[in-house]
Amino acid sequence: MSNSENEVKMQNLSVEYRLGEAYIPFQSYGKIFDPRTALMNGTLFPELYRPYRVRAEL
Amino acid sequence: MYSKDMVNLLKEIMAVDFVVYELALFLDTHPNDRRALEDHNNFAMKSRQLREMFERKYGPLILDSVSEFPYQYINNPWPWEIRY
Amino acid sequence: MWYYVKKLQYPANVARTDLGMAKFLFAQYGGPDSELSASIRYLTQRYTMPIPQAKALLTDIGTEELAHWEIIGTLIYKLTDGATPEQMRRAGLGDHFAQHDNALYPHDAAGVPWTAAYIQATGDPIADLHENLAAEQKARATYEHLISLTDDPGVIATLAFLREREIVHFQRFGEALMLVKEYMDKPKHVF
Repeated sequence: MSNSENEVKMQNLSVEYRLGEAYIPFQSYGKIFDPRTALMNGTLFPELYRPYRVRAEL
Repeated sequence: MYSKDMVNLLKEIMAVDFVVYELALFLDTHPNDRRALEDHNNFAMKSRQLREMFERKYGPLILDSVSEFPYQYINNPWPWEIRY
Repeated sequence: MWYYVKKLQYPANVARTDLGMAKFLFAQYGGPDSELSASIRYLTQRYTMPIPQAKALLTDIGTEELAHWEIIGTLIYKLTDGATPEQMRRAGLGDHFAQHDNALYPHDAAGVPWTAAYIQATGDPIADLHENLAAEQKARATYEHLISLTDDPGVIATLAFLREREIVHFQRFGEALMLVKEYMDKPKHVF
């Protein structure tokens, strides 16, 4: 494994970053919602909470 | 029939169980995350306490819970019949 | 094995009977990107995942998808509760009624029955995880279409919950993909 700047290091994970492949950044554990809010939002994690906004008509 | 109190306790269980499930999925890909595991274990214990409290009052939520006579698990309401 | 827990994952309510919306929701009960497809897809693919993190994740997300299938079933049940044959007919559910009465048969919004052809299990963990990432996006898009088709606040809140789960699952499948790549990059797994 090369130790270039193309190497992604997250969560002690080392994967070579190459063309023709897909990569997803690892989530780190941070703040969490309280249980009631988490259930209503559909996730425990503020950084993954992406509520749907109806698109404006063009 | 069922009471408002039953629905409220059930909703509290749903919220805590949701947190446990979300943390379990996180731990599947982050098994070495100590803080997430600690939160998971705390919420899992909370879930057990709430489930026990619910089942004492309203009957089993799962078929391996102890039941009074006659068998209480089959009683209404079923999840799709409840107004939350 | 599995145990049933006698509760929904999310408290799904509807404001009133709405047969038209019930018809549309069949998209997620028995359509190509339905919760049923998701569950069967992940629970089928898990056997050939190479690392414990991926086996666990496919098992647990596959199980959660069954709970989502139950939530969609609950919405359809509540939206159609007490409907007469004539009302079903006027809402475009006459064909459904003829074959299924008020039962919840797994077909899509147009009545096409569910088929295993909607899913794949290639035995190649990289290919399968990419299918799962795509499946989560297709389900997210379908939920956005469904949200645009109703003004019932209970239905919207429930669909918004299910849509958000697709985003979380996408992240987890992405992490599993990274872990599988790392595993396969190790010298002993270079073919």
